[in-house]
Amino acid sequence: MTPELNEFLAITDTVTQERIDTYAELSTDFNPLHVDPEAAAASEFGGIIAHGPIALHAFFRAMTGWLGVDALPAGSTVSVAYRAPTRPDDEVTCELREMTEIEPGKFELSAECLTQDGTVVVSVRATVTVPEAA
Amino acid sequence: MTKTGELSNIPYDDLVVDERFGPYDEVVTAHLASRLAGPIGAPTVASFAPPAVYPVLFLRALRRAMGGIPAGSILAKQELEFVRELPVDSPVAVTTWVGAKEIKRDRPFVTIEFEIRDAEDQLILTGRKIIVWPTGPGEQA
Repeated sequence: MTPELNEFLAITDTVTQERIDTYAELSTDFNPLHVDPEAAAASEFGGIIAHGPIALHAFFRAMTGWLGVDALPAGSTVSVAYRAPTRPDDEVTCELREMTEIEPGKFELSAECLTQDGTVVVSVRATVTVPEAA
Repeated sequence: MTKTGELSNIPYDDLVVDERFGPYDEVVTAHLASRLAGPIGAPTVASFAPPAVYPVLFLRALRRAMGGIPAGSILAKQELEFVRELPVDSPVAVTTWVGAKEIKRDRPFVTIEFEIRDAEDQLILTGRKIIVWPTGPGEQA
C-alpha cells in the first residue's frame, strides 16, 4: 500500500536547553555555543544555538511517522542544507514541499524545517522506498 | 591507515585527504535509540535505530578523530545513504576521513566522510558532513 501525501504530517519540535543538553550528552558534542550561555553570548551568534541536527529532527520524525517505521528503509537517501541556526524556545516545524513517485513504491521528496517566524532552518531532499507493509 | 588523535581546530592546510580515523566501536543501545526516536530525550520505544542516531554517531566519531567540529566552523550540508536497517543494541564500527577540501566562492569547504558497519562488517550507512572550515589556505587556527 502506498502512503498518501496527506498522511505526511507536519511535525513540530520545540528546541529547549534541556534537549540541547541531552543531545550534547548523547553526541559528546559539548561545544560552548550549545551549552555555555556566557561563551555563546560572546560569540557572533549572541547566545546559545542548537546542534545542527536538532533542526533536522522534525524531518526524521515526520518521515518515520509517515512510513510507520523506526528506521528509514534500506536505499533511502537524505541530503540536508543547513540554512540558519535554531535557538532555545524555537518551534521547528517540518513541512513537505513536493513528492514524486519516481518508480513504483519509490518516492523523491523535498521538505523544509521552519521556525515559528517562518525562517527556513533546514532544506531537505530525500528518496525513500516505501516498505511493503507500510 | 587508521589512527586516533586530538586534532581540534586543525588548520585547513593540515587536513589530509583520505587519511582514515577509526574504526571507532560504538553500540546503538536501546537507551540511545529511544531518546532519538521521538522528541529528543523523551523515551520512545524503537526496535531499529532511528535515522537521528546516525548524525549522533558522526559527532562521536568526529570528537574521537578530530576533537570535534572546530570552533568557528559552519555546518553547511549533511548527506546520508541508508544501506541496511540496524536493530537496537547492535555494535557498530564508525570510520571517518576527510573526503575533500576545496575553495568555493572564496570559502574553504571540507567534506568529512563517514562509514558505519555492523559486527558482521556489513555496511549500514554512509554519509558526509560538508563544513565551512574556520581557516583557509595559509591560515593558522
